[in-house]
Amino acid sequence: MKSIFSIACLVLIFCGMSCSGNNQEQQPRPLYQSIDTVPMLIMQIQQCAKLHTAEYHIHKIITHDDVIQFKGNLLHQNIDIKLPLGQRKVAIPMDATLKAYIDFSTFSKENIERQNELITILLPDPKVELTSSKINQKEIRTFVGLTRAGFSDEELSQYEQQGREAILKSIPNMGIIEMARENAARTLIPMLEQMGFKESNITIAFRKDKTIQRLTN
Amino acid sequence: MNTIRINELKIKGKRLTLATFGIAAFILVFWYLFFSEKDNHLNFVVDHQIDVTPEQIQSIKAIGEWEFLSVSCEELVDTIRKGLFSDDHLVRIYFGTMRLGINLHQVKPGWMHVDGDSIEVTLPPVGLLDRDFIDEARTKAFYESGKWTAKDREALYQKAYRQMLSHGLTQQNMENARLNAKTQFRRMMQAMGYNYVSIRFEE
Repeated sequence: MKSIFSIACLVLIFCGMSCSGNNQEQQPRPLYQSIDTVPMLIMQIQQCAKLHTAEYHIHKIITHDDVIQFKGNLLHQNIDIKLPLGQRKVAIPMDATLKAYIDFSTFSKENIERQNELITILLPDPKVELTSSKINQKEIRTFVGLTRAGFSDEELSQYEQQGREAILKSIPNMGIIEMARENAARTLIPMLEQMGFKESNITIAFRKDKTIQRLTN
Repeated sequence: MNTIRINELKIKGKRLTLATFGIAAFILVFWYLFFSEKDNHLNFVVDHQIDVTPEQIQSIKAIGEWEFLSVSCEELVDTIRKGLFSDDHLVRIYFGTMRLGINLHQVKPGWMHVDGDSIEVTLPPVGLLDRDFIDEARTKAFYESGKWTAKDREALYQKAYRQMLSHGLTQQNMENARLNAKTQFRRMMQAMGYNYVSIRFEE
């Protein structure tokens, strides 16, 4: 029964090969066809007023060393054995763009102090967001041990998400907030000069907790 | 002859008894190790955490982009590879945010004109502030069958990019961004003390 089935399979394969051979003469066909079947969209539109003042381009190589370990406790003895030929390694290069912005959505008369020719603009502290990220798919390198399966798309996505989180966590050490404040002053002062204020009379200040940090003049 | 057979049977019986005792002893030891002692446990463990690697700042740029409308998209994109016996599928969900607004580095000299308590503001045209808007590292792998290469994933990314552009960068969204830009600038100028505010966009 099995032999009949395998012969039938072979015949089918040969038929398929011969058919594709005939087609190749008439019209070259690609090795496989990609078809989109599930176009779906969820969209969220939001009105805002954000002045982006600083842009950082970050590069990171996400690495993961995946070893199967036989771990446990037996008769009050810790056991930790790395299984041979069970190692996998992956390196994923990624680029991300961070932008710092000042939120003007709550900007009102309370943010402005005027005394004759002097003007002080009081701004909220800048915030940072990750505006885009790109995985360099062609540069991903994987090494898979003999006893292991290759990395799945889900696993790679998980590592990429962890890399993204690591970039977000490192924001406070990058000095982007400080730069955003300085650039905000550089953007707003020419605007106020266009309105007729002298540069020496303009102060851009930031509210940070209870203290106010003055940047200009 | 019979004596030899009896001896053989006795030896076989002894072996059987020994084997039974051996199995019983093994079960007892196994039971003791894994059930009577709660501390005893052995597992296969795989660590799914990434290694700690540095983040390199490649460039720092001073920008002046004023965002007035953000369009956040989720795109479910898939590809199928037809096979002889079965088809392979790759389905991924991409996330991206298109930011519409004006670039203050594009303003022309004299873009603000003040006359007493009136101000006339000419803003640069509203557009997409950044062509890179997909957050690929947030991508969710939804389904995968068969083997897929980096080229296939890159093609899916490009497909998601085109779909987001066509769905998010519409005339209506551009008009909404323009309207919000006018509203926000008018409010800001009024807060500065200008009673009459006129805002228009460059052609």
